[in-house]
Amino acid sequence: MEPIILAIILVCIIIGGMLGSLGVHLLPVGGAPAAMATATGIATGCVMLMTGSAVTGLFTASTVAAFWESNPSVLLVSLSGGVGAMLMMGFTMLIANLIYIFGAGVVPVSGRAAVDPITKESQTEYKTPRTDGHGVPNVCFYSGMIGGLAGGFGGALIYVVLESDVYANFPVAIAAVVALGIFIANAIMAAYNIGGTIEGFHDPKFKERIVTGLTCAFVISLMCGIIVVIAIETGVLEAVGGVL
Amino acid sequence: MPVISLFAWLLVIVFLAFIACMFEDLESDVGSQSNPNSQVQLAPEMGYIHRYYNKAISGEGLSYALACTIAGTIALLLLLKFEPTYGPRAAILAIPVGAAVGSISHMIRASVCYPGRESAHKRFEQPIYLDVFYGHLVPIATHNFIAVICITGIAYIQSNLTVLSGVSGASNPFPLPLLCLIWGITVGAIGSSTGDIHYGTEREFQDRPFGEGRRVVYHGQICRYGDCGIRTSKDIVAFCAKYGGPATGLTFGLIVLFENWRTVIGMMLGGLAGAAWNPGIAAVSGIGLGIAVAIVLIVLNTWLVRWARKKFGPFVGE
Repeated sequence: MEPIILAIILVCIIIGGMLGSLGVHLLPVGGAPAAMATATGIATGCVMLMTGSAVTGLFTASTVAAFWESNPSVLLVSLSGGVGAMLMMGFTMLIANLIYIFGAGVVPVSGRAAVDPITKESQTEYKTPRTDGHGVPNVCFYSGMIGGLAGGFGGALIYVVLESDVYANFPVAIAAVVALGIFIANAIMAAYNIGGTIEGFHDPKFKERIVTGLTCAFVISLMCGIIVVIAIETGVLEAVGGVL
Repeated sequence: MPVISLFAWLLVIVFLAFIACMFEDLESDVGSQSNPNSQVQLAPEMGYIHRYYNKAISGEGLSYALACTIAGTIALLLLLKFEPTYGPRAAILAIPVGAAVGSISHMIRASVCYPGRESAHKRFEQPIYLDVFYGHLVPIATHNFIAVICITGIAYIQSNLTVLSGVSGASNPFPLPLLCLIWGITVGAIGSSTGDIHYGTEREFQDRPFGEGRRVVYHGQICRYGDCGIRTSKDIVAFCAKYGGPATGLTFGLIVLFENWRTVIGMMLGGLAGAAWNPGIAAVSGIGLGIAVAIVLIVLNTWLVRWARKKFGPFVGE
């Protein structure tokens, strides 16, 4: 394969991995405490949530990529994946808020900001004492939507360059599994970097740790990309038949 | 006419998605898995000896991805074996058998969890209740079976949508087990994100004041008494099935509905794989519709939060 094509694949994998890491940092993740309305955000782990939304995007991206008989549009397929992940995050956060409000009688409120930076609504007087906030307030919702878009775009970008016949030309199932693997590696490193809960772009943790997170994502994606390039050159992941 | 058939199949998928995610959440309640289980795990250390089932195989996304992928793989193997002889009727056997194997493997993992976790609490004098152990395994397996069979059914329909609806290009290119993996991860992530709140915030702390976040000092002090007698995890399901479970099912149903809807509308605008087929217009239309739905979601959430702030008011109390 031509070196320029290999370089494009490597760059796309690195960009996709870094966008995945950025997406994880933007999600309002409350972890286990959020399930008890003790922390703001969504009541699950970073990796679980990001992977769930990215694979939803990947499903749509795979359908959209199949629109083209050959040479699918990288930008449109990636955007389809990003929008799919964004919708998954949006519905999840909205229904989570419905359960917080009508199931537990809790007002969504940020624990890390005294005033919502977007809507300018005050937060402190609505917060239960000795908790770190609860629910998904508006600023976290916006941050989660952007995070879903970034993560889904990144995952679908890796998938489409691996699947496209102009680039890596892997079989669709192999491309999806490899993309998922690279994405989850980045998501796990981002989760380690966050170390617990994060509310989104307005959280002081975000500014402190995003540079380290993106640097780690760059290194991991580069290493994964080199392995993919070796696999392309040696042809070990080409279609060989079988149940896939 | 094929387009109407395609939409009908999509609605079948959405219905199955609703049932799958609802039962996924209820299964995580009957076995006490995922985030609220941290409180069940913590309770004996706080002196709260309980009769909850304690199952934390892994995060819900991973355990469901495993169960669904096992089901999808077995179903695919049976389809490959029997489809040449019996045609599409092979699915009638393959999907339930695959789901049964997936749910039995899930039950085995659940059965290992309870003695292991509770024996680690011996130092806090937490007994292993054998009636709790035996009594919860069948509800865990049956709830899991319904979730897994629905996911396997969704994957089967999506990978055969072109044949079923008559619209070319409607099938997803992924193989059956990979679709099961994708939807397994997603259904677990959603069940963990939304349904857990009703169990963790409300049901586990039902003896605490309604309408406030659970303070850190309450952690581990779970509600151990039911309407009559001592509460077990089976009592959780009946409660969460009234709100948390259906709301979780609605989340996954809406996601599957709008993801497929915007793709199909995009395909129709792009010429529906006929002579005038334009993949660029189809993709752009789908993206545009998705962004429009996202804007509606943002508006809805902003309105909902504003309504709650106005209705409930600032925090009152100590």
